[in-house]
Amino acid sequence: MKKIREKVVSASSLCKEYQIGGLIIPALRDINLEVVEGEFVSIYGPSGAGKTTLLNLIGGLDQPTSGGIVVFGHDLSAYDEDFLATFRSTYVGFVFQSYNLVSTLTSLENVSFPMELAGWSEERVRERSEKLLRLVGLSHRANHFPAQLSGGEQQRVAFARALANDPPLILVDEPTGNLDVETGLEIVSILEKLKMKGKTILVATHDERIMKFANRMLHLRDGRIVAKDE
Amino acid sequence: MSEIAFPVKDLARRKFQTGLTIVGLTICTATTIFLILFGENIGFEIALVTGGKLTTGFSNIFSRFVFMVSFLNILVGALVTSFLVYLSMSERVRDVGIMKATGCLSSIAFGYFLTELSIIVFLSCVAGTILGVLTHFASISALSALGFSVSQRPLNLWMIVIIFFVFVVASHILGIQPVIKAIRVKPAEALSPLYSYGTTSGEPGKPASSRLSLTLRVAYRALMRRKSATRRAIICLAAVLTLTTVTIAGGIIASQTTQKYVERAVGRDIIIVGHPDLTGQYASLLSQFFETKEIEPINYLDEKYQISEHLISELSNISGVLKVDPRLVLEANVSEVQGVIIDPEEQTPYVLVGDHRFGEALVLGVQPERVVNEWLIFGRVLNETDVYSAVIGDSLALEMFADPQKQAIMVFEKNFEIAGVCLDPLNNGKVVYVPLNALSTLVDGQSNCNILFLKIDPSKRSQVVADIEERVSGTMLEPLELNGILEKHLNFLGYIWSFIMFLPLFSLATATLCLLGYMMLSVTGQQREFGIMRALGAKPKTIIKIVFTEALIVTLISGAIGVFIGLFFTFVLLIPEPVISQSTLTSVAGLLLLVLILLCLFSLYPAVRAVKKSVASVLSQP
Repeated sequence: MKKIREKVVSASSLCKEYQIGGLIIPALRDINLEVVEGEFVSIYGPSGAGKTTLLNLIGGLDQPTSGGIVVFGHDLSAYDEDFLATFRSTYVGFVFQSYNLVSTLTSLENVSFPMELAGWSEERVRERSEKLLRLVGLSHRANHFPAQLSGGEQQRVAFARALANDPPLILVDEPTGNLDVETGLEIVSILEKLKMKGKTILVATHDERIMKFANRMLHLRDGRIVAKDE
Repeated sequence: MSEIAFPVKDLARRKFQTGLTIVGLTICTATTIFLILFGENIGFEIALVTGGKLTTGFSNIFSRFVFMVSFLNILVGALVTSFLVYLSMSERVRDVGIMKATGCLSSIAFGYFLTELSIIVFLSCVAGTILGVLTHFASISALSALGFSVSQRPLNLWMIVIIFFVFVVASHILGIQPVIKAIRVKPAEALSPLYSYGTTSGEPGKPASSRLSLTLRVAYRALMRRKSATRRAIICLAAVLTLTTVTIAGGIIASQTTQKYVERAVGRDIIIVGHPDLTGQYASLLSQFFETKEIEPINYLDEKYQISEHLISELSNISGVLKVDPRLVLEANVSEVQGVIIDPEEQTPYVLVGDHRFGEALVLGVQPERVVNEWLIFGRVLNETDVYSAVIGDSLALEMFADPQKQAIMVFEKNFEIAGVCLDPLNNGKVVYVPLNALSTLVDGQSNCNILFLKIDPSKRSQVVADIEERVSGTMLEPLELNGILEKHLNFLGYIWSFIMFLPLFSLATATLCLLGYMMLSVTGQQREFGIMRALGAKPKTIIKIVFTEALIVTLISGAIGVFIGLFFTFVLLIPEPVISQSTLTSVAGLLLLVLILLCLFSLYPAVRAVKKSVASVLSQP
C-alpha cells in the first residue's frame, strides 16, 4: 500500500510586492503550490524571477503581501517574529547562495549555532556538530573561521549548519552558483544524500546535475509559475 | 563642484553622523562656557582673582572644580570630535578611494574633508557658546529669583573668545588625524572589499573560550574584530566618564564639604546676645557670603554695647545653655608684618617673606577655651596660653599675606603671630581672631565684651530662648538666633552646586553620543550577521542581548578606567580635606551606576532599529 505523504508546503494565491521609493515592484504573483513530505522540488528561472523570494516566504524569512502560505500546518502570515524564529529553528534548514556563515564564529561554532539557540546541551551540541562536519568532510577545518575557508568549504559548512537541528525541510538557494565544477559536484553529492534520507528539499538552481534528482521542477518567470514539470 | 558645495552637501547627506558630532561638541563647549561664566559671576573666577561674594578659601574649592571640569570638557570635546570623525571616515574611506581613482589629488580630497571638519567644529563651537551664555544668564536669573542678590556682571568676552578658540584648535588637531589616515590609503586598497579602516579586519578576532555563553562569545568576537574602533571608543568613553565622575563625585563631595565647612564656621544652634545695632551688624557681616549689603560704620566700643560680667554669668546658668563665648568685636586697620624663613635655595640663610600690605578687617577678641566655632583651620587654633597670637580668615590670608603662618599681623600697633588660617564666611573671610584680654588691653583696657555667643541644647530651644529673653529684659540687649542665617548659607551653597550638578547630564549626553555612534557602526557592520542569525532561528531579543553585551563590555571597561581616574582627580587634586559620609558614597555610587545603566540602555537603540528590518531584506543587501 502506498504511504500517504503529509503536505509540507501549501501556498495559495501567494503574492509578494516590494516598495522601492514610490515604486511597487511585484516579485511573486498568484503562486499556488503544494509540496509533500520527502519531495525534492527544483525551482528554476531567470534572475529576478522570484526564486529567492519564494524560498524566503516558505522559510518564514519574509511575509507575503497577500495570499496564504502554510508550512507544516502553520499559517506563516499569522505569526510574529518570535514565533517565526522558533519555526525556522525547528522546521527549516537554509543554505544560502552566498553561504552566509557568521564570520566571527568558527566552522564548528557555525554548525553549533542553531543547536545552541534551540537550547541543546553543550555535550550534545559538540557531538552533533563534529558528526555533521565529518559528514561534509570538514572535520579538519572545525576551528577555522569562514574567512580562512574556500567557497566550497564554506558552502559545505552551510549545509552542515542547515542540518544541525535535523529539520524536515531544507531550502537551498543556488548552491553551486558561486562554485567551480569540482566543488559543485561535492554539493550535488550532499544533496543526493539528503534526498535519500527522506528530507523535503526545495532548491533554486540552474544546475542540471541537481535538477536531475528533482521529483518536480517549477519554472518561474516574472514572479509566476509558468511550468510544472514532473 | 566647488570646494564648499561638496562638503556642505556631503554633511547634509549624512545627517545622523553630522548631527552626532555637532551635538557632542556643542555640549562640551556650552558646558565649559557656562561653568566659567557662572563661576566668575558668583565669585570664583578661573583666574583665581579674589573677589566676589564667597571667601577666598571657598572660591579656591570652586575654582579647582571649574578648572578641572573645564580642562576635561576641552579634552572630551576634542576626543569626541576625533572619534566621531574617525567613525565617519571609516565609512568614507571607499569614497576617498573612488575620488583618488578618478584622478582627484590627495590634497583636494584632504581639503574637502578638512572643510567638512571645520564646518562641523565652527557650527558646534558657535552653538555651544550661545547655549553656554544663555544657560549662564538663565542660572543667574534663577538664583536671583530664589532670593539671592546675585548681580549680572558684564560678560567676559575675552574669556569666551579664548574658550571658543581652544575648542576650535583642539578639535581640529585631534579631528584631523583620522582624515589624514584615510587620505593616505591607496585607491586600490580603499576600493578592495577586504580593506578595512580599523573598524573591521580580515582577521576574525581572537578565539574566545568555547565555554563562554553564546551571546558573550559573539559579542566578544565582534568587539575584537573591530579592535581599533573598540579601542578608540573605550578611550573616548573613559574620558567622558572621567568627566562624569569628577562632576558627580567631585560635585557632590565638594558640595557637602563646603556646606560642612560653613556649618562649622557659623556654628549650629548658636544664639548671639548683644545690642540690636551690634547683632544686626554681625548678621550683616555674616551674610556678606551670599548677599551684598551696605555696612554702616558703628562705634563698636560705645559703652551701650558692653555686656556686663554679671549678665554673662546669669546667662551661663540657664539650663540648656551648653557654652558661653564672650567676644569683643570691632573693625580696625590691620597690616602685614614680614616674616623670616630659612631660604629654601640656601644662598643666604634667612629671607624675608611678605610685604607691608594693609587693609580693613573685622577683629574679634575671643577667649580661646570658650570659642563655640569649629573652623577648618590651616595651622592651629588659639589656646589659653596664647597672648599675642592670631587666627586670620582665609580671604585676609590670601589677599594680604605671602606665607601667613610664617608672618605676623599688626593690630592696633601690636604684632600678633599668625597661628592659623581659618575658613570663615564672616565679613567674607576678612577677619582676625585674637585673645580677648590682649585686644581689650590694646583698645582702652576697659572694654571687655560686646557680643555673646551661646551654644544651646536644640531640644530645649524654646525654653532657653524664653529664659534668655527674660534675663536680658530691662537691658538694651536682644538675642538673635544664627540658625536662620546658617540655613541661608547652606541654601546658597546648595543652589550653586545644584546648578553645577546638572553638568553630569551633559556628560551623560556626550557619553551616550559616543556609545551610540560606536554601536551604530557596530550594528551596521553586523547587520548581515544578525540577519543570518535570525534566519537560523535567533529571536530579536537574542540579537538585542548580543548588542547589549557589546555595549556592556565597552561601558564596563571604559567605566572602570574613567571612574578610577575621576575619583583619583576628585580626592587627590580637587578637594584636599573632603567631608564624606555614608550617604555621599551611596549617592555617588548610585548615580555612577545609573549613568552606566542608562548608557547601556541608550546603546540598544541601533539594535532595536536593526531587528525591525525583515530578515529577507537584510540578507538581500550586498
